[in-house]
Amino acid sequence: MPEPLTFSDWIRNRRPLLIIAGIQIVLLAFIATRVMDIVIVEDSREVVDGVETITLRRELIGDPLLFALAAVGMALPLSSKNLRREPVMLLTVQLMIVALLIFVLWPVGQIFVEGFEGSGGDKRFSLENYQRLFSRPMVARASRNTVLLGITSATLSTLIGAVVAYTLTLTDIPWKRILRVLVVLTLVSPPFAVSFSFILLFGRRGLITYDLLGIRAWSIYGPDGIIMVQLISNIPLAVLILMGVFSSMDRDLEDAAEDLGAKTFRLLRTITFPLVTPALLTAWLLNFISSISDFGNPMLIGGDFQLLAPQAYIQRVELFDPQLSAALAVLLVIPALFAFALQHWISNRKSYVTVTGGARTGQIRKLSGWFKWPLFSIVLFLGMFNLLLYGSIFVGAAVKAWGFDFSLTLRNVKGLLIAIGELRNSLFVAAVAGVLGGFIGIILASLVTRRRFAGRGALDFAGTLMYAIPGTVVGIGYIIAFNAAPYLWTGTFFIIIVAFAFRRLPVGLRSGVAAEKQIDPHLEEASLDLGASRPRTFAKVTFPLLRTAFLAGVIYIFIRSMTDLSAAIFLSSARTQLFTVRMFNVMVRGSPSEAAAFAALLIVIIMLALGLLGRLTGKSFVDLFRIT
Amino acid sequence: MASEANFATASIRLENLSKQFKEILAVDDVTLEVEPGTLVCLLGPSGCGKTTTLRMIAGFEDPTSGKVFIGDEDVTEMPPYARPSAMVFQSYALFPHMSVYENVAYGLKARRTPRSEIRTKVREALDLIELEGQDDKSPSQLSGGQQQRVALARALVIRPKVLLFDEPLSNLDAQLRVRMRGELRDVQRRLGITSVYVTHDQEEAFSIADVVAIMNQGRLTQLGSPLDLYRRPADRFVAEFVGLSNVLPAELVGSNDKGADIRVLGQMIHSRQAPTNPSASISVVLRPEAIRIVTGEDSGIPARVRTLAYIGPIARYTVAIDGDGTELIVDLSNPASDEFYEEGTAVRISLPKEVPALLS
Ligand SMILES: Nc1ncnc2c1ncn2[C@@H]1O[C@H](COP(=O)(O)OP(=O)(O)O)[C@@H](O)[C@H]1O
Ligand SMILES: [Mg+2]
Repeated sequence: MPEPLTFSDWIRNRRPLLIIAGIQIVLLAFIATRVMDIVIVEDSREVVDGVETITLRRELIGDPLLFALAAVGMALPLSSKNLRREPVMLLTVQLMIVALLIFVLWPVGQIFVEGFEGSGGDKRFSLENYQRLFSRPMVARASRNTVLLGITSATLSTLIGAVVAYTLTLTDIPWKRILRVLVVLTLVSPPFAVSFSFILLFGRRGLITYDLLGIRAWSIYGPDGIIMVQLISNIPLAVLILMGVFSSMDRDLEDAAEDLGAKTFRLLRTITFPLVTPALLTAWLLNFISSISDFGNPMLIGGDFQLLAPQAYIQRVELFDPQLSAALAVLLVIPALFAFALQHWISNRKSYVTVTGGARTGQIRKLSGWFKWPLFSIVLFLGMFNLLLYGSIFVGAAVKAWGFDFSLTLRNVKGLLIAIGELRNSLFVAAVAGVLGGFIGIILASLVTRRRFAGRGALDFAGTLMYAIPGTVVGIGYIIAFNAAPYLWTGTFFIIIVAFAFRRLPVGLRSGVAAEKQIDPHLEEASLDLGASRPRTFAKVTFPLLRTAFLAGVIYIFIRSMTDLSAAIFLSSARTQLFTVRMFNVMVRGSPSEAAAFAALLIVIIMLALGLLGRLTGKSFVDLFRIT
Repeated sequence: MASEANFATASIRLENLSKQFKEILAVDDVTLEVEPGTLVCLLGPSGCGKTTTLRMIAGFEDPTSGKVFIGDEDVTEMPPYARPSAMVFQSYALFPHMSVYENVAYGLKARRTPRSEIRTKVREALDLIELEGQDDKSPSQLSGGQQQRVALARALVIRPKVLLFDEPLSNLDAQLRVRMRGELRDVQRRLGITSVYVTHDQEEAFSIADVVAIMNQGRLTQLGSPLDLYRRPADRFVAEFVGLSNVLPAELVGSNDKGADIRVLGQMIHSRQAPTNPSASISVVLRPEAIRIVTGEDSGIPARVRTLAYIGPIARYTVAIDGDGTELIVDLSNPASDEFYEEGTAVRISLPKEVPALLS
């Protein structure tokens, strides 16, 4: 006989549901007050008989659209039954969705919106900027230059990277261990430090060009210089990606094909190419993105060779034309997104590289001297060149005036003291961003690999999207999105930390996903089965097993944030000056030796961070950057 | 576990349970009642939906439709950590970053058991599985059998109302498998804990189960004691799955409520059960050990020995019937006697006079 339900029973039966509903309302209200505000503005003012009457009216400011999107984003996971049952999980997913929406999708979207606004504060939709844009020869030139540079730089660095990777994994050249480190040395430098040391060596008063060779007419400033600098900066990524493929190639496959009567050419066509092509394409596309996003190197060494990323900065900061700057950013982001989508598609296709771990993977080929020594020379040259670049920075920091007076001094090192505030800011921002990005990356990784819910794919996509967004675009997007009331975040550490954390999130996420896939999913299930809640399972089982990936993510984000210039230059303010921005100013305006001390200190900090990673996880920095 | 008596256990009831993965109907309308204290084996070929069924009981998969009860409680909507079940995984799923002790204590800590109580309970559990003194070892330092025991102790220590096993022995070598299944069965009996045990190994299932549930393509095809299934398989699939069988077409000669007479390979056989549908074509299951090879010239069906293999205490022949070439498997016990037949020998075989049931 069912008893009549009293009101308190009714409440008790629905307590979990009511709690969820309550939390949802609080969260939504919180978001609403963050992204919207109501202000009182003057409506009209009239003077009748000497009495002034001011009419006030309330006005909604901020982004109702963002709020609506956040509400929809929060509703999405509500449709999954298994999330509704577990409020903590539901809330985690919702927080991730809202965070990615506000800090990734919204600022990137703002670029597109601002590009379509009229000039002079007119907020209505207009193609005016683009008409203005395309009527300028600069724009066409910068676009063409950017794409051509990207193609050239990506092609050359991939080809050279392939040769180097092949030589280092599959041939019997000497000194392989040390060469493996030397050829990827420039992975861990602030990118514009490479162009800076190029200037030291090959610039107007360059050690090699001016002093050694006596060259006066040729100039490093311009496309030649940028391409060389980008090659040096981008070859390491190609080398790492391709070394991974070459060393996992199973020699048995080649032998089997040979056994079956395939001649050398057939062998290449049927076995080797299909194995290597996806990795070559991946390396090419990532280097393409890296090349067109490059901001620091062209600013330093580009001369009057116009490119999109620097122009977007110049238009906004030096020529005060924010709409034009946004429109340039759109032009920049489109090919980057396209390349990224293609890369995503390639990596999601079935991989041919058999990860059998068979005994005969990565077996050394015995090469005749005719092949071996030229290959060795290429690799050796690259390694020595990198060493020379780094050496020049440290020597530069130790001498009085590079190019003029090479006597030793401590002046430049002492000069760093003036930037101690900036250094502290940078360390603080990078450390917080590293931990924040590392955590979000690991949590996102475990959500997208272990749970099934509506919106999972979108979450994964938004978490990875920033990989394709050039730093310049991130900086401009954040400024546009969060400059005005009710945000007023510009000039705070908050905006820099968030920008850095979400900008480098993709690497944290991907390394987390890769690590999750290595873990037996039954471990987490066993924990749940034994009565541990989801958060407890995450804290006691998932997280400890992902510790290495987490630390790698934190340190990666820390290093990238310490060395970031392209986003930092938009987001740092007088109150939140960052070390790289200061260093950049010194490089552009100060003496080379003074600047060299900045670069040297940054390199030391990076090395220390990598050393710490090695101590904590036993991983080398080469493992750390093996991402894709 | 010293206090074995107060081990609270409960029945399990599955009501019309189904699970649809994108295109695959992995579990198809399964209804099953497991009496308190009994061990039920889910037996079936790989991919038939056993694991999925088990995972729905544990709460790792949401049923597409149907309900799961543990005791009187409907747990269908409950997350795994709230269910009174504990599972022993095929891969053991021992936490690699914890010691043996910490592994076993894990579930108790999650329940916020007082520390001193945890210590006694873990000790008792390690004693029960004869792993005392191995507390500080990491799981990877243990042998497969020991890891298996730790997994069992870890599940038992939280006093679950039901135990779930997913092919728990398949990572062990053949000898250890036989010993461990005896131990598992022992512990289960002693604690009297309701258990569901998934395996694809017929011998394993028959040797430990109170009740065997045969699954095929997501459906529960037959439920019964091992002897029931062996004697009266419901269909050809079960007959072939639960043991090597000769399934032969039969011709119905006559039937009444006491049984039926059929003709197989020209010989008359009596079935103690009449076919359910007399008009359908029927067949009969002849166990290899029920067929005999006879030496007399005039009795039996002429055949020729094709192969001969010694399997432990029996000799297994395949013989081809002269004429249509139908192959039969015949097991003769006691192969040590002089009476054996080489390949190619002409022999005569005799079929049993009576079978328990027919297939239709
Ligand atoms: N998570 C899943 N997603 C899609 N299909 C699945 C999943 N789990 C199991 N299946 C499919 O469901 C069927 C039953 O699987 P399973 O229950 O593991 O069988 P068994 O344990 O009897 O070997 C198989 O066809 C399997 O491929
Ligand atoms: Mg299974």
